[in-house]
Amino acid sequence: MASVKLTNVKKIYDNNVVAVHDFNLDIKDKEFVVFVGPSGCGKSTTLRMVAGLEEISDGTVEIDGEVVNDLQPKDRNIAMVFQNYALYPHMTVYDNIAFSLRLKKVPEDVIYAKVTNAAEILGITQYLMRKPRALSGGQRQRVAIGRAMVRDSKVFLMDEPLSNLDAKLRNQMRAEIILLRQKLDTTFIYVTHDQTEAMTLGDRIVIMKDGYIMQVGTPMEVFEKPSNLFVAEFIGAPKMNVLKTNLVKEGDRYFVTPCGAKIEVTGYKEKLLAEKGVQGGEILLGARPEHIVLADGPAENAIPCKLEVNEMMGSELHLHVFSEDGTRWIVRVPTIDLSEEQRQHLTNGADLYITFEGKAMHFFDPETEKNLIYGEE
Amino acid sequence: MSKQDITYGTQKRHMGMRAAKTLSNTAVYIILAVISVIWLIPFVFIVLESFRCECHYQVGYIIPQKWGFTNYIELFQKTDFPKWYLNTFIIALFTAVIQTFIVLCMSYTLSRFRFKMRKALMQFMLILGFFPGMLTMIILYRVLKDIGLTQEHAVPGLILVYVASSGMGYYVSKGFFDTIPKSLDEAARIDGATRAQVLFRIILPLAKPIVIYTILTAFMAPWGDFVFAKYISFGASAGMNVAVGLNSFLSLDQIMNKYTLFCAGGVVVAIPVVILFLCLQRYYVEGVTGGAVKG
Repeated sequence: MASVKLTNVKKIYDNNVVAVHDFNLDIKDKEFVVFVGPSGCGKSTTLRMVAGLEEISDGTVEIDGEVVNDLQPKDRNIAMVFQNYALYPHMTVYDNIAFSLRLKKVPEDVIYAKVTNAAEILGITQYLMRKPRALSGGQRQRVAIGRAMVRDSKVFLMDEPLSNLDAKLRNQMRAEIILLRQKLDTTFIYVTHDQTEAMTLGDRIVIMKDGYIMQVGTPMEVFEKPSNLFVAEFIGAPKMNVLKTNLVKEGDRYFVTPCGAKIEVTGYKEKLLAEKGVQGGEILLGARPEHIVLADGPAENAIPCKLEVNEMMGSELHLHVFSEDGTRWIVRVPTIDLSEEQRQHLTNGADLYITFEGKAMHFFDPETEKNLIYGEE
Repeated sequence: MSKQDITYGTQKRHMGMRAAKTLSNTAVYIILAVISVIWLIPFVFIVLESFRCECHYQVGYIIPQKWGFTNYIELFQKTDFPKWYLNTFIIALFTAVIQTFIVLCMSYTLSRFRFKMRKALMQFMLILGFFPGMLTMIILYRVLKDIGLTQEHAVPGLILVYVASSGMGYYVSKGFFDTIPKSLDEAARIDGATRAQVLFRIILPLAKPIVIYTILTAFMAPWGDFVFAKYISFGASAGMNVAVGLNSFLSLDQIMNKYTLFCAGGVVVAIPVVILFLCLQRYYVEGVTGGAVKG
């Protein structure tokens, strides 16, 4: 159990490629932090620098207040789970889990107690005498987690641990990691490219792009208050609809005018815009698919669209529609809200009207792509 | 053309193909058999000669008239052969152990570590390896003579010579190590292993075929070496290995008395090698071909 502090951490490779720029982050004791971002954004590199597998080009990494830049991985008191499990193929599951303890010359009876305890928690007791190749992907990943568990380390690092599993197993293991976290009660750093994993697991999420931190925040913060367009589009599935439009200020009221419609900005969003002193002008408007609703018919605040693709997801429909100016929108409609008549109407090429609530809009600067309300100055 | 005709035609064609195949197979087998007979004749010849008791010199026939072990007994009792045999065994054993250790460490380093001039070093060693070792003969002899490791003391000198350049033989094992995922190293290092522990407890158990291949090749080279052993022992019987010692039986003044002893010596030299290969051939083949297959 320990805090981790990264100060101005940089990674520059030999060919002068900068993988991580000035990374600053304070991870509290027992916090679960998720690094998320598209591939090549530097998230794994950052994790590997914490682990000691990658040299730190500049800046410092502290674990529990101690600078660990020059410490070998074995001296950092960390545990790590790898994407490809990295189990030792020539050892049984038991030996795999016991390996680190044997290196530390822990007495065999203590090792036995620890290994069987970990195996019980992870439900792999019956596989202890098997070799890794005789296990399924999910079982292997459990062994890898078990190997990390028995070390009682200060920090638990996980590098895309679920990426090699199929979708169903991934959901199951995700839930198990949440349970495991409750049992272990230690500091976690988790790397993933999957925003769902990030949202469900993390106390805080660090969203990265091209080696820069885009935003750090709780799942709710990054979802509701994305500081820039990248975060807004990365978090949430299907991704946020974005289009260029105008923000018009009429007295104290704000309106947006997408595709000829006129929709008023309402609620706290309007207040915040006024507080920030935002004048009108061209903006990038963001609206999440789940915040768009089907309008009953033509209205001032409704955008006429044509339905292109109707994806039936069971509990909801994902409607791909395009408006007159060619903008494509994705609309998420809960099936339970739809009458039989409406459902039958939603065939390809159908005409429909969409609108969205004034308080659910996001506004971005078209040049800097920063959030006009929540973006940092 | 009726259906029957077509069927008949197909059958005929099949038979024709089968006959052609049988014919070409037969030809191939005959050629292979001839080659293997030619290849085996010297070995059979040597074994037969080693059991010939009627005389010690060359005769015009192959099958001995009188069979027995006299040649072997004389070889061990009346010549320096036991000394040479022991010399060779000591040299080969030490070389095998030291060289294997160096080669495996070298290969692991080149496979896993990234350091300045790594590529240049590898290329340099590759090019250096193209030059025949004989080129170093004169200077090597000079150096070894100065530190007193020639003639009667040739055994440690020879071990030095064989081991000295062993790091350059890293290609095969490096290729094999490259196929072992790096994340295993990383996992072990996080588990608390040092680099040496990673090599000996994780990588080598996974690279068993290549370890055995390295031991075998490291053992074989000095076991059969003639040139280096010849000039470093420089005529001193106490420093000779079997190849040089047995060769001295073939000199003009000795060949009449020791020709069959030479054959017996040849058989005795081959025995440990044959046993080694029989035991380890499975790994040997895996080692040679294993580098190409992802582990």
